[in-house]
Formats: sequence, C-alpha cells, structure tokens
Amino acid sequence: MPAARRRNALFYGCLLLVLLIAGAEALRWAGAKHSSALPTPLAARGAAQAGPVTLTELSHAHIPAPHGMPSAHASTLTPLSGERLLAYWWAGSRESGPDVKVYSSTWNKGAWSAPREVASRASLGAQLGFGVRRIGNPVAWTDRAGTIHLYVVATGLGGWAAARIVHMVSNDEGASYTVRRVLPTSPLFNTSALVRTAPVGLADGGWWLPVYFEIGNKYPMLMAFDADGNPGSVSRIGQSTSTLQPAIVPVSSTEVRALMRDDSDQQRVQHATSHDGGATWQDLPALDLPNYSTSVAAIRLSSGQFLMLHNHVEGDASARSILRLSVSNDLRHWRTIADIAKGPAGDEFSYPSMQQVGDELHITYTWQRQAIAHHRYRIVTGGTT
Amino acid sequence: MNLPDLSLQIAYGRLGWALVAATLVVALAGVVLRTPLSRRALGMVVAACLALMLLPGEASPAFWLGLAFQYPSGVLLGCCALRLFERWHGIRRSRAMPQALAGVLAVTGALLYADTVGWLARGFYYAGFGPALMPALAVMAATACALAIARGHARGPASALLGAVALFSLLRLPSGNLWDALLDPLLWGWAMSALVVAALRKTGRRASDRIGDSESEPVPAPVLRPLAAEHFSNLKEQVGGK
Repeated sequence: MPAARRRNALFYGCLLLVLLIAGAEALRWAGAKHSSALPTPLAARGAAQAGPVTLTELSHAHIPAPHGMPSAHASTLTPLSGERLLAYWWAGSRESGPDVKVYSSTWNKGAWSAPREVASRASLGAQLGFGVRRIGNPVAWTDRAGTIHLYVVATGLGGWAAARIVHMVSNDEGASYTVRRVLPTSPLFNTSALVRTAPVGLADGGWWLPVYFEIGNKYPMLMAFDADGNPGSVSRIGQSTSTLQPAIVPVSSTEVRALMRDDSDQQRVQHATSHDGGATWQDLPALDLPNYSTSVAAIRLSSGQFLMLHNHVEGDASARSILRLSVSNDLRHWRTIADIAKGPAGDEFSYPSMQQVGDELHITYTWQRQAIAHHRYRIVTGGTT
Repeated sequence: MNLPDLSLQIAYGRLGWALVAATLVVALAGVVLRTPLSRRALGMVVAACLALMLLPGEASPAFWLGLAFQYPSGVLLGCCALRLFERWHGIRRSRAMPQALAGVLAVTGALLYADTVGWLARGFYYAGFGPALMPALAVMAATACALAIARGHARGPASALLGAVALFSLLRLPSGNLWDALLDPLLWGWAMSALVVAALRKTGRRASDRIGDSESEPVPAPVLRPLAAEHFSNLKEQVGGK
C-alpha cells in the first residue's frame, strides 16, 4: 500500500474510533443524567415514638449446622415473603480453611430448614473464570421483586487483605444462585474490600451495601445499587482510617448514621453522619460504648427507635463474651435492653445480625465459633418495662 | 456505574493474560538466548500462550493469574502488544514505555494507590466510575491519541492508550472503571522500573563522562579557554553567511 493511502487509512481509522468512543460515552452520559436527575431518598421511618421498647423472648435455638463442619461464623439475615427469613453464614473446619463454604437456612413456620450449600471456592471459581482462595462473610438483600442479592467475600492471593466481593443472585428464593460479577472496589488488583453489615433500602427500590477496606488502614464505604441490582456509586464514610464494618441506619430521608467497629486504641463504638443522603460523611465523636474491635448490628424499628447489638465489656469480660442489645431515640444515648448472650472471659458471642419481621425481632450471632444462634422476640413499643 | 458482563470479562482475562505472558516469555527468551527470537518462534510463543490460557478451569494459567491479579489494564495490554510488534519487526530499542508515559503513570499510580490505602481521602478511584467527568476524560484522551497518531508523534504509546480507551468506552473493560483501563499495579511497576533504569543509565553516562573527561588531555582553566570564544564566533559567521 502506498504511504499516502496508508496515512489516510490510519487517519480515518482513528477518526472512526474517536467517533465511536464519543458516541458511546455520550449515550452513557445521557442515560446517567436521566437516571440521577434527583438524589435517591432513604426509605426512612418516622420519628421515634415515646415510651420504652419491651422485648419478650419467644424462642432461641441454634440453626442446624452442616454435617462435619465444626466452625461457623458471620451470619446474616434477609426477609422473604410470608414472614419467612433466610439466614446465611459460613462454616468449615476452621476460619479460612479450604473447605469453608457459605450455607443458608430458611425460617418458616417457627423452624429452620436443613442447611443448604450456597457458595464454595470451587463453585465461585468455576463461574468467575479465576480462582478463589478463601470464602468469608456473606451479606444478603431481598429486592422488591423478590430477587435475593447475596454478597460473599472471596479472597485472591493472600489473607483477608486480598478480599474481593462476589455478587450472586437468586430468583427462586434461595434454591439456586448465579454469579453476577465481582464488584470493582479497588485499583490494587481489586482487592481488600469486604462486607459484613446489612444493606439498607432506598425509596426507589435500590439499596446501599456497606463495604470496608482493610490493607493496613481500615475505612468504611457505601456502594449504592439501583432497583435492578446494578451498582451506581461508591463513597467513603468519613476520614477515619481505623473504623470498619459500618452498620447503617437511616434517620430521615436525607440524614443517615453509621455505627462502626473500632480498630483504634479508643476502643469505642465509632459514629459518622451524612446529611445529604450518603453523598458526603462527617465523623462524629465515638459513642460511650466499649468496642474492642467487634462487629455491631443496628436497625431502626418500625416505631422509629434504634436498636443496636454490640459486644459490651465490663469487669472480667473479654472482648466478645457479652452480646448486648441497646435502644436509643437519638443514636447518641443508649439504654440497655438485655444481654442476649453472656459468658466467662474467653467465650465468644459475636458478629450479630437482626431483622424485624412484623412485630417480631430476629437475632442471629456466632455462638462460640461453633454454631449460629437464633433468638426471636416479640416487640412491644410504648408499654412499660 | 456501568459495568461489563462477566462473560466478557472472562474472555478479556484469557486473551489479556495470554498477551502479557507472551511478552514476558519473549523478553526472557531474548535475555537468555542473547539474540532476538525469529518471527516464527515469536508466533509460536504467542500461539502457545493463547492455547494455554484458553484451557478450561484450573488448567488455564489465566485462572491463577486472575486469582492473584484479576485483570490486566488496557494500557498494559497495549504496551505488551506494542512490544511484541516491535520484536516482530526486529526493533531492539523499545518505545513501548517512553519516559514521559512512565512518568505520568508513576505519578498517577502513586496518587491513586495512596488514596486507595487511605492515606488520602479524595475518592480518586470511585471517580473513575463517574457519569460525566470520566466520559469527558475518555473522549479527550482518545482525541489526543488520535491526533498524535495522525501526526506521527509517539505513535506506539498513543495507540496503546487509544486502544485502552476504546475497550473501556465500547465494552467497559476491564472493570467499568476508567482507572482500571489506564493503570494496574503491574503496569505501574513497569513504569517505575523504566524510570529507575533511565535514571541509572543517566547516572552511569554522567559517571563515564566524568571518567572520560579526567582521562583526556588536561584543559586550561575556564578563564583561559579561547576555544569556546572561537567556536562561538565561528557559528555567528556561518549564520551570517546564510
């Protein structure tokens, strides 16, 4: 080909490519502009009703464990239709063991079903096209259409600092799952992002997934999803580099708080707030509640009050030997309702999760790293304690 | 946030790692054999790497490379393709990682990674998903690259960058984030190495220049250098003569 013709071909080829790029980006920009014309408000509940919250225990039990799996940890709950619940957790021979898998069990008519295997190194590796070294915390969300979105920590080469988040979906109430993708969370080989705490619903049917980073520094983040389960944006919660596992609670349609595990010497439940629907965050002074680097769970009841499950430390107790349930009207001042589990120093009742279903409160937590315990309470608001 | 389909990512990972592996094998072969590979050998290396990466499941090296590194960036693939192209044409002095590109990648990577590990809190990486700024940046980068290619300036690196932006804009590869298209820690390592090697060469040249100067004939003190003045006046005469 003569040099002049080659130059022309190169020029027109480049021009065509630039036009294609400009066209694709213009389409995407127009779509994004249309969908984000208004900020998505939180699905917030009303102001807290006066009067104390009273809980009456209805039952407690261990969720049936998979056979031959002596270690269990990191449970999470998501509601299904008909006042049913799905619990997820991981179990195996030991934490980070090659046989660790995510299991689920369904709560229906007062009983848990037999555990069902949901994800393993092999099943995730086969669907992702690349290997997974360890399986970790699961977190689940049921969207308005009834589709379950399950987020599972799956590490690359290394420990939890090499963690990635796999997004799985189930359209048949947890009978089967497909991997949608690995969520892009970091430019460092997409590693060091984990999930632990429950998602929060938005008014448009979307939700926020609390995420945290942990290579050396630890900091919390929020990933927003639309009603179809597509991620929309990511934002960092506050400026701290020693907080993780944010438990998110909406206060109003624009105000939201995060209660967080503390990895600093302060050893207090950490606290941050956003007044613009989660777009920007400010760190607040820590709560006057001890936190020796343990996960917390928080929800807002339909009555408007806030509940938090957290590990309390007093006297000879160790970091995770008391699991306490506290209530608050303002997220600053907390009153103890009950110690859900309590044992001598060295015992472990940790990684709590809770879900309100009708007038019942369901709580699950790790029991001695051997099983997942489940407590069920009747909630009465406005009575006398 | 607009993310690629998982099946597309899997195909990209297989092909991408084949390209990276072939570039490494060819580079290592050049060092070990002390002579460039023939075109036939080069073609065989590329074909073998592709065949290996396309093996199913755990038999594919891409399965393990993905475990450790996830996906290579588009620019890394572009630079690898350029390096293989140079080898194919027997070009020994590579232009795949010029100092200007290495410098930009080194600084960008340092800021991005410092932000990611929490030393900064600017959200640089999340901005890579942005709906307005990132598309504008991608179009501007593509236009600049196309102009550079058309004018014959730094055609190789400009083609690598244009290819990466095209992969990002048209298919959202590798992750839907512009930064992942432009940079990854392996490419950042390559850029840093290129800068270090260039700095060492420069230092070595200066040292050898100094040694050369000290071994040459002793020169008169600067104040007594009539040669410089002579040279200067000669130039003036030449310019004036034209």
